[in-house]
Amino acid sequence: MANAFVAAFEILSFGAIIVLIVLGLGIIASMMGIFNFAQGEFVLLGAYITYLAYAKGLPIWTGMVAAPFAVGALGFVLEALIIRRFYAAPIVAMLGTYALGLIIRETVRGLIGGFYLTVPEPIGGSIDIGAMHISAWRFTIIIITLLVMAGCYLLLSRTSFGLRVRATLENPSLARASGISTPLIYGATFAFGAALAGLAGALIVPVFSLFADLGLRFLIQGFVAVMVGGVGSFIGPVAGAGVIGTLSAALPWVMAPVVADVLVFVLAIVFIKFRPQGLIAGKGV
Amino acid sequence: MPKSMSVVKQAIVADAGDEVDGAMAESAAAGQVAAGRKVLPIVEVVVLVAALVAPLVLQDYLTVFATRVIILALFALSFDLVWGYAGIMSFGQALFFGSAGYGVALLARDLDITNIFLVLPAGTIIGLAFALLLGGFLLLGRHPSSVIFVSLGTLTGSYAADRLARGWYYLGGQNGIPSIAPMTLGGYEFSEGPPFYYLVLGILVVVYLLCRFLVRSQFGLALAGLRENEQRIAFFGYKAQHLKAIIFAIGGAVAGLAGSLYAFHEGFVWPNMVGVVVSTQVVLYVLFGGSGTLIGAVIGAIIVEGVSFWLSDNYRDIWPIILGVLLLLVILFRPLGLISFVLGERERVGSFGASRKEKRNAAP
Repeated sequence: MANAFVAAFEILSFGAIIVLIVLGLGIIASMMGIFNFAQGEFVLLGAYITYLAYAKGLPIWTGMVAAPFAVGALGFVLEALIIRRFYAAPIVAMLGTYALGLIIRETVRGLIGGFYLTVPEPIGGSIDIGAMHISAWRFTIIIITLLVMAGCYLLLSRTSFGLRVRATLENPSLARASGISTPLIYGATFAFGAALAGLAGALIVPVFSLFADLGLRFLIQGFVAVMVGGVGSFIGPVAGAGVIGTLSAALPWVMAPVVADVLVFVLAIVFIKFRPQGLIAGKGV
Repeated sequence: MPKSMSVVKQAIVADAGDEVDGAMAESAAAGQVAAGRKVLPIVEVVVLVAALVAPLVLQDYLTVFATRVIILALFALSFDLVWGYAGIMSFGQALFFGSAGYGVALLARDLDITNIFLVLPAGTIIGLAFALLLGGFLLLGRHPSSVIFVSLGTLTGSYAADRLARGWYYLGGQNGIPSIAPMTLGGYEFSEGPPFYYLVLGILVVVYLLCRFLVRSQFGLALAGLRENEQRIAFFGYKAQHLKAIIFAIGGAVAGLAGSLYAFHEGFVWPNMVGVVVSTQVVLYVLFGGSGTLIGAVIGAIIVEGVSFWLSDNYRDIWPIILGVLLLLVILFRPLGLISFVLGERERVGSFGASRKEKRNAAP
């Protein structure tokens, strides 16, 4: 019983991490129709900023709060300077964002060297429930993921900014004709997606430690999750991330990890092949 | 079938005619058209001559390096066929390269087969088989697959293969398979050096000529049409998906050949060889050199590898950053690659049509 509970907690916390990473990727893919290869490096940057705060002796919390804003600002600048040129051509966008990611990743590698740098958990220790111990920080990640999801949902469905975003997603020319500045919306969405990646990086760095290929590890899982969930809505990628995250955390408990690892991808690709619109089709929230 | 071929030809040539009228209006462009007629063979001959004399002037360790570059150029050729000619974005080309490498390494390790006439065809067939499997699954089917799905599917395939190779003890896990026996021909052993170099160069030239014949044939014409406007080709009665699957398989076979040569030249195979790193590396070669021209892929491989070899001695840390910046600049300002500095747009496309740059990458 206790074992099953610990397993369930592990699966849930890994699923939460994947959801957090995929949220930004999914929002950008739905909105602009581009798959952002630099998203993994935004995660890496978020992690790096948190590490910097820790290394300078500041409380880790400050780094974690600063990371989404800094990465979001960078995303806004990059969108205005570079990404904007790629909207008409999804493949070129992949290559261009790959080049951007390469630049960011190698710069960070140059800054930290080939090391694995650890950052302590701001909330250490464990929560004891009877005889079971679960990591307090992982629990916090789950809570924050839920809060972020709720916040995104409310932002998109309840505010006038969200209305503009949805209008631009649904029909860009009509949105322009109605006086919505679509370039500004695109810029803001990209920045928001980047900020979410930065937040994800900041939160996961105590769990995975900081190394240059941190983002790469999650990028392909993220892409697959977005495709499985379905591009075009907010809830689709989240559902896909839930499925992929749960599967990749759950399968290693019942079979050899290597087989599980590969099986998740094979299953996902087969699923997308026969249901290209994903789990949840349609546009909107 | 021949009739529909000629219809396509007329349609595309008619398109080309419009383009020419437009181009003639600008004298600069017209000059490029007139001068551009003969550039491609000159570039090809220059590269060939340079490759032929290279071992005579290079030191031994540089010849070994040059051999590796020629093999990678062969690999780049396979990606160029798939992306530059048929417009299929394959982010997983290393899957065929690496699986063939692993295949011949296992042949050499477990069965002691190193005869060149057995291992190279074996590698080619392994690449072909994997490409048929993956390409057949991704490209064929009742509904045409989106270009995004194909590119992410190939990327995922390559990543999954990497993970599998890392975790599978039989394939050597993280360390790969070290110290593969050298390739043999009768009693002769091919070890690193000029003979291996000329063997690889000979293979590259043969494959290059075959590819050149292929892309200038009626089949290549249909592929070019596919790249420019898939829907129109489908309306002419072609099975667009079948054409794509065929060229994907051919690309896989060439990648397999390159992979088996690479395995024997380096003497070991390791998981990176099937993984995303090598997959994206080959994309870089072709983008730099110029996709859609065979020689562009070869030049791209030579330049990227050459410059990185030269820079990595002095600027090891910042070289990947420079590579990223250069790549970004090429994508933004020279989408047709470095070859477009000397090669006119009309010659790049060939004698049977002209392309619209802005439509090249747009998914139909």
